[in-house]
Amino acid sequence: MSDRIVFDNVSKFYGDVLGVNRVSLSIPPGITSLVGPNGSGKTTLMNLMSGLIRPSRGHIRIVDLTPDQPEQLFHLVGYCSQYDSLPKGLTGYQFVHSYLRLYGYDRVKSEELAWSAIDRVGLREAAHRKAAGYSKGMRQRIRLAQSLAHNPRVLVLDEPLNGLDPLVRAETIALFRGLAKEGCHVILSSHVLHEVDIISDQVILMSGGYVAAEGNIQGVRSEIEDHPMQILIRCDRPSELAARFFGEDHVVEVKLHNDRRGLLVKTRDPNRFYLLMNRVALDGFAVESVAPCDDDVNSVYEYLIGTEEATR
Amino acid sequence: MNRVTWTQIRAIVRIEMKKTFFAKRGLWIYLLALAPVALFLTHSLVEIHQHGARRQMALKNGRPLTERDFLAIAAGMSRDEVTARLGDPPVSRSRTRRVRTGRNSFSAVSLETLRYSDGNNELVLTLKEGRVTGIGRVSGISLGQDSYVFAGVFQFFFIRLAIFFGCLGIFMNLFRGEMLDKSLHFYLLTPVRREILMLGKYLAGLLAATVIFSASTALQLFALMLQFDASTVAQYLDQNHGISQMAAYLGVTVLACIGYGSIFLAAGLLFRNPIVPAAAVLIWEAANPVLPALLKKFSVIYYLKSLCPVEISLDPGMPPLFALLASNPEPVSRYIAIFGLLALSVVVLLAASRRVRRLEINYATD
Repeated sequence: MSDRIVFDNVSKFYGDVLGVNRVSLSIPPGITSLVGPNGSGKTTLMNLMSGLIRPSRGHIRIVDLTPDQPEQLFHLVGYCSQYDSLPKGLTGYQFVHSYLRLYGYDRVKSEELAWSAIDRVGLREAAHRKAAGYSKGMRQRIRLAQSLAHNPRVLVLDEPLNGLDPLVRAETIALFRGLAKEGCHVILSSHVLHEVDIISDQVILMSGGYVAAEGNIQGVRSEIEDHPMQILIRCDRPSELAARFFGEDHVVEVKLHNDRRGLLVKTRDPNRFYLLMNRVALDGFAVESVAPCDDDVNSVYEYLIGTEEATR
Repeated sequence: MNRVTWTQIRAIVRIEMKKTFFAKRGLWIYLLALAPVALFLTHSLVEIHQHGARRQMALKNGRPLTERDFLAIAAGMSRDEVTARLGDPPVSRSRTRRVRTGRNSFSAVSLETLRYSDGNNELVLTLKEGRVTGIGRVSGISLGQDSYVFAGVFQFFFIRLAIFFGCLGIFMNLFRGEMLDKSLHFYLLTPVRREILMLGKYLAGLLAATVIFSASTALQLFALMLQFDASTVAQYLDQNHGISQMAAYLGVTVLACIGYGSIFLAAGLLFRNPIVPAAAVLIWEAANPVLPALLKKFSVIYYLKSLCPVEISLDPGMPPLFALLASNPEPVSRYIAIFGLLALSVVVLLAASRRVRRLEINYATD
């Protein structure tokens, strides 16, 4: 039995408008972030995963199930969509509880699961208030509670951190990490790239309906051969070291750091550069640290998709 | 169906009931359902008041009058002849009017109005120069007459407009309303088969429509009966098929909700704008008497008309539209009508279930 979410050459067109095109993915358990500008196909990919829309071409399998099998699939999948709406007339608790009854749970079990989910998102005190009167952040949290109340193995979350205050945001990220540690799939989309960087085990970079890159962020960065990698070196004699690097053909740029205690080096061949650093250390330079400084999501995103589209 | 399916249907009905019964946007449906109740209640209250006035008038008569006494009065009779037959009038009003007889000459004409009552009906006589020139009859309360009026209101207004548009408002919103609210996806993300979801929603809508409109039918009948004394009502119920007529009206109400509910649930899945299907179905239903025999059967009103307990007779003076709506050239038996309407509803729901199975959520275009 596969534990992966598989997209096999999936395309989705809305009439003449492209949603996603020829997407092939195999997503392992853990936290996977979908990153891309508006209209890049993130939500389409999530809606396809949850069966809200059907692919025009290709096949999707969610841990050995297809989105055409809602009776089995939605015991496994929870989806917190981007739509900031709730059914009318229900309190937060009623919302979570009522929809749990659709899973076939009896009243007692539904109550237990509903309170457990509400507690996980920290909304117990407001649970008996009408959901229509909730703030944006509270609505986001109650929708999150509803999507994870039945303890799904696959949690799909469209912009789940939107509207959350910093404290709740941190708690929510911790919740995602906990779920990922338990072996769940947590698939989320976000524009907040530094958060994606912190929480993601893997990223899928989307652009114009296509998958621009996928995998763990360091792996993706190392695959970008046509863009020099930037490395920060902290050392005692940065100017002398800079002079030394100028003689190397794979080094394309050397800059003294603003604090004059380090160098920013751009190289086309990181492997040769690290070998060079070994020799530098033997030549008596006191090197404190050597660290790539552009293998975060933001940098990769900028390289692949373009600076103008990077949100941060 | 297994236990889980029933649990799911009950859960859907419970969620939908809250939305259907207590939605502010559904207020007009209650008003539509209560309109005929208000009509019959007003009618009864007016009749009760007038009946009281007639009884008072009858008490003032010199002697008790009957229908026969009223029929004996003819135009041209003198005032003395009238009073000899009916006694002194309990209410009379006389006046004099100047009538031109030449270029500059006028003469005074004495006019008199006499009113008699037998306790229920009223006779109004107009006398000119002491001779009867006009005879007016104001019928008092009559259960037979009122039940005929009820049948007309029930067929022309209640079924064709109140239940029709009420079901439009309730059933089209079951899916379309949630698409507009962007909340339908919550259902589609649960382990419920789409057909079961549709069935649950239909049952919720049907429950709401049935409660609202059956209550309206019952209240209309109650309001209608209010003007009659207990013995008249008991006689109607016991001897004049009153109970079976009331049961038939309630049954037709429920069947109308079933039929129109299924059509508008399906329409809510197919159309964005409710005006289009509403207009199309309204015209189709109105044109039913002139449709070919086969097409007639694909109409809710075709079956309902055959089930209505009181047939509307086609009077020569009836406006053409009403005559078209009232005509029922091919009535069917009660059992065929019930079975036919249920079969039609099932067919429509099956077609809707095919649509709901392929339903995609794309609120941006909805």
